Amino acid sequence: MPLVNIDNVHKYYGDNHVLKGIDLRIDAGEVVSIIGRSGSGKSTLLRCINGLETYSEGGIIVDQMEVTDDDSQIRKLSKSVGMVFQHFNLFPHLTVGQNITLAPKLVRKLSAEEAAETAREVLQKVGLQDKFDSFPGELSGGQQQRVAIARSLAMRPKVLLCDEITSALDPELVGEVLKVLETLATEGMTLILVTHEMNFARDIGDRVIFMHQGKVWESGEAKAVFANPQTPELQTFINAVL
Amino acid sequence: MSAFTDWDILRNLLLAARWTVALSLIAFAGGALVGLLLTFMQISGRVVLVQMTRLYVELFQGTPLLMQLFLVFFGISLFGIDVSPWTAAALALTLFSSAYLTEIWRGCIESIPKGQWEASRCLGLNYVEVMYHIILPQALRIAIAPTVGFSVQIVKGTALASIIGFVELTKAGTMLNNATFEPFKVFGFVALIYFLLCYPLSVASRMLERKLHASG
Amino acid sequence: MDYNFQFSELWPYTNLIVDGLLWTIALTLITTILGCLLGTLGAAARAGRNKLLKHLVGAYVELIRNTPFIVQLFFIFFGLPSIGIKLTAWEAGLLAMVINLGAYSTEIIRAGIEATPKGQLEAARTLGLSRVQTFIRVVLPPALQTIYPALTSQCIIVMLGSAVLSQISVQELTFAANFIQSRNFLSFEVYLVVALLYLALAVLMRQLFKVVHYYAFPNLRARK
Repeated sequence: MPLVNIDNVHKYYGDNHVLKGIDLRIDAGEVVSIIGRSGSGKSTLLRCINGLETYSEGGIIVDQMEVTDDDSQIRKLSKSVGMVFQHFNLFPHLTVGQNITLAPKLVRKLSAEEAAETAREVLQKVGLQDKFDSFPGELSGGQQQRVAIARSLAMRPKVLLCDEITSALDPELVGEVLKVLETLATEGMTLILVTHEMNFARDIGDRVIFMHQGKVWESGEAKAVFANPQTPELQTFINAVL
Repeated sequence: MSAFTDWDILRNLLLAARWTVALSLIAFAGGALVGLLLTFMQISGRVVLVQMTRLYVELFQGTPLLMQLFLVFFGISLFGIDVSPWTAAALALTLFSSAYLTEIWRGCIESIPKGQWEASRCLGLNYVEVMYHIILPQALRIAIAPTVGFSVQIVKGTALASIIGFVELTKAGTMLNNATFEPFKVFGFVALIYFLLCYPLSVASRMLERKLHASG
Repeated sequence: MDYNFQFSELWPYTNLIVDGLLWTIALTLITTILGCLLGTLGAAARAGRNKLLKHLVGAYVELIRNTPFIVQLFFIFFGLPSIGIKLTAWEAGLLAMVINLGAYSTEIIRAGIEATPKGQLEAARTLGLSRVQTFIRVVLPPALQTIYPALTSQCIIVMLGSAVLSQISVQELTFAANFIQSRNFLSFEVYLVVALLYLALAVLMRQLFKVVHYYAFPNLRARK
């Protein structure tokens, strides 16, 4: 049984058919990059995986749990699926430490000490152990995004969804965030990324999914897909972004 | 005495409500006029005028409207002038309104992005030209909704004129209550009439604001 | 103008004025705490899923915001006893103030809540926080930060409005002033002094709110 099983998923916004029958299986430990133009449905697909968006038809099963928009189901799902956002979405009124320990305490019911222990450990992983008591507003964009990754990791997810997590960063800050992802990948974390970082997708990713007009247009082993695109649409896309 | 029907109560209240409306209109018109003057002083860029306006606004926003009414009412009579509650109320509410309106309008003018100033100055316009052609037209659009919103405060403020003896809606309510001993009904009606006066203004203010946001 | 101001005539009444001032401060303090609490609950109800509660709170807010405080006060003090709810002047005054501030702060806090960026809600949902947890931990604190200046102003407005309580014989500052001027007929002097005391109170309140702000929101202090 794959970790993430997406079966013939359709989604409509009113008359707009944004996902047209997506089938996708992702195994534990895989690093999958979803690429494509804006409006191709890639972010929508990602957000369907953890229930932030509902889908109209089909089914998604993650870690043997069906994804529905039911609140208690989302709560259960949050222990298996982490998500990092383009704009970090850190809680501005909480310190880095409080940002990270909030959900482990409230949702995973850890004690304050256990949660703090976890927080220090994940901060170490993203290289920000000295920022425990800082507020998000005091950090650079790159640091904030690393804290956001740490916050997700503290929930011990089985899969981490990354929604264009370097797009809002100044170019010189992108590297530090990608490096954290690379470490996670080598440690065996399952990653599903919507990304514009083609080099990262090619070099670190196991698999690339190219989405076009709401469909999986082309997919395969990362290096092969970039080296040898099969469709003119992917060819055009690669030429435009590389 | 006991012959007051519900209709009698309501009719008397409605008659008195005319004075509430009249006082509100005068206070609004007077307040807008004085407020406009103060706003021009504020944007004149002259430190003394700006400071004086600030002080004026601080004084009226930092003291109870009731005190302002008392001070105007008793202050004018110090000059040996016999002032009617109506005049005192109209004057006090005018001053009160002008302070709040000045503050609202200053906020609107300051909310115009700095880039508008910089762009206009780069085009060679002087202070007055920028103000007149660029800033004020934009500020005026923004100012409409909060100004209508503040008119609700004026209508409600007129209720205090009852305390210095001016017979408007609230005073009529107190008098009718003394005559009928039906405070629940009388003040219920009074509240209802105020609500019918104020609620449309509140709704209008909100609609205007939404329209402004919608049009960008 | 041919008038000798006689401010020194007020000295014998210092105690009365101080007493009135203290009562005004006490009323304001209690009202600020209870009113803001009521406003938070009201805003939560407005943001909540219970349709009936939402509309009831909405009606309460509109009713209070569109009628004069003095009429609310009279209704509570004179009107409620006729349906069996008897209140002392103090109780009626305090109740009217809390209900009044509650309505305004409901509206103010609701606006702050509506300004919450969608991403904050998505992050909380992704982390598995329940609706109540999200509201208390994620939505409310930044919302209060955003609307803090408006809330400060409203609390000051309510403090100034408490002058009207003198009309039902609550012995606060304005009541003291009325009493003194009925004794010595120095209306202008009394009201001027008392008006300045209100002004001082308003200035003091603003400063006090700033101090509270400093300690309540450490994240705003930290930002460089």
